[in-house]
Amino acid sequence: MIRFLLNGKEVQVEIPPHWTLLRLLREGLGLTGTKEGCGIGECGACTVLLDGKPVNSCLVLAPKVEGKEVQTIEGMGSRASLHPLQKSFIEHGAIQCGFCTPGMLMASKALLDRNPQPTREEIKEAISGNLCRCTGYQQIIEAIEAVKK
Amino acid sequence: MIPPFEYKTPKTLQEACDLLWDYKERAKVIAGGTDLVIALRNESLRPEVLIDITHIPELRMMRVENGMIFIGGGITHSEIASSPLIHQYGKVLSDAVSEIGSPQIRNIGTIGGNIVNASPAGDSIPPLLVLDAFATVVSIEGKKEVSLIHLFESPYKTTLKPYEILLNVQFKKLPSRMRTGFVRLARREGMAIARMSVAIALDLESGGNRINEIRIAVGAITPTPQRMSEAEEFLKGRLPDEESLQKASFLISDAMIKRSGIRPSTSYKRPVIEALFKRAVRQALEGER
Repeated sequence: MIRFLLNGKEVQVEIPPHWTLLRLLREGLGLTGTKEGCGIGECGACTVLLDGKPVNSCLVLAPKVEGKEVQTIEGMGSRASLHPLQKSFIEHGAIQCGFCTPGMLMASKALLDRNPQPTREEIKEAISGNLCRCTGYQQIIEAIEAVKK
Repeated sequence: MIPPFEYKTPKTLQEACDLLWDYKERAKVIAGGTDLVIALRNESLRPEVLIDITHIPELRMMRVENGMIFIGGGITHSEIASSPLIHQYGKVLSDAVSEIGSPQIRNIGTIGGNIVNASPAGDSIPPLLVLDAFATVVSIEGKKEVSLIHLFESPYKTTLKPYEILLNVQFKKLPSRMRTGFVRLARREGMAIARMSVAIALDLESGGNRINEIRIAVGAITPTPQRMSEAEEFLKGRLPDEESLQKASFLISDAMIKRSGIRPSTSYKRPVIEALFKRAVRQALEGER
């Protein structure tokens, strides 16, 4: 039994301890917004926020989130009201195939939550653990830069 | 896929040591898990039990005591990279760990895990060597302090027994007159394992400019982490001028070849390690104290 806060709501799941957080989210809870890109912590597609910090959910074993706070892409904005980052990504053409996007949004949300006015270098640093095969990153960086708190 | 195991979360050090004594080789300690989970995933490790040590207070502390800095084995690379304490008294370490992996990896990977994984390319290790760090090892048999360099037996193998835990690393606060440098070479700027690195701690005599003491450790180019004692001895009492640094850099590349043998990459690595060493010294000389 693992109990934790998920996108602001308390959740209880019964899953084996050898499941990763990624598997818990996708298979255990049907939250497929978080993607598996490499499964070994090298692409960042599986990025979620654990106690506000970006982590590779493919490397976090499920029992580790006991009592902690997890935020996933499903908790970011809503269909009716997108998060400013999500709007900015759309406006700047920062989404092509969309596979890296949830991870990119999580990483950039974590950045803006602690540093609302990042420099371009700080933005690049914040997404340095997220690979994108489509955009070449420029549009993503511009999209993040454009969001002023 | 990851084979099943039991997951234990001891809340005290005693509990952890008892568990490890009971299970020994059947158990594995997990801190961040950034190396361990990958090994579980490719089934190169199949423990029956994982013992999560990140709920044990002694493993999660970072403090100063009697002029010594103590960093618990469960402290993450992010915590070290952003620690004002380490910036002030061990900057070479915070510089190095801030380049490990990615932000995501640094948020869960720990210094204890980095050491115990004992990769020849482990980035926390050369800085700890130039900080003359010790490791505190605990088990049911008690507590002991080991000079960090003696922990490494061979690539990916420490001298730790299966029931021992790396509790913390400790080093003397680096005096402000000692300057440090860290240079790392990898295939990419981020998310890449170090191919070669150099850590330096340098003390110049106050009157002139001669080297009182220099500590040099290299990463990723020797089977186990080492201090470059030949170069350190050579530079003692000399000025850090082009000629002396050049000669010292040759002593370093010679030491690398002596310890690692001649490989296909040697003709590339030889001039590069010499250049990286000089770059690290320049960084130390020009950088903030």
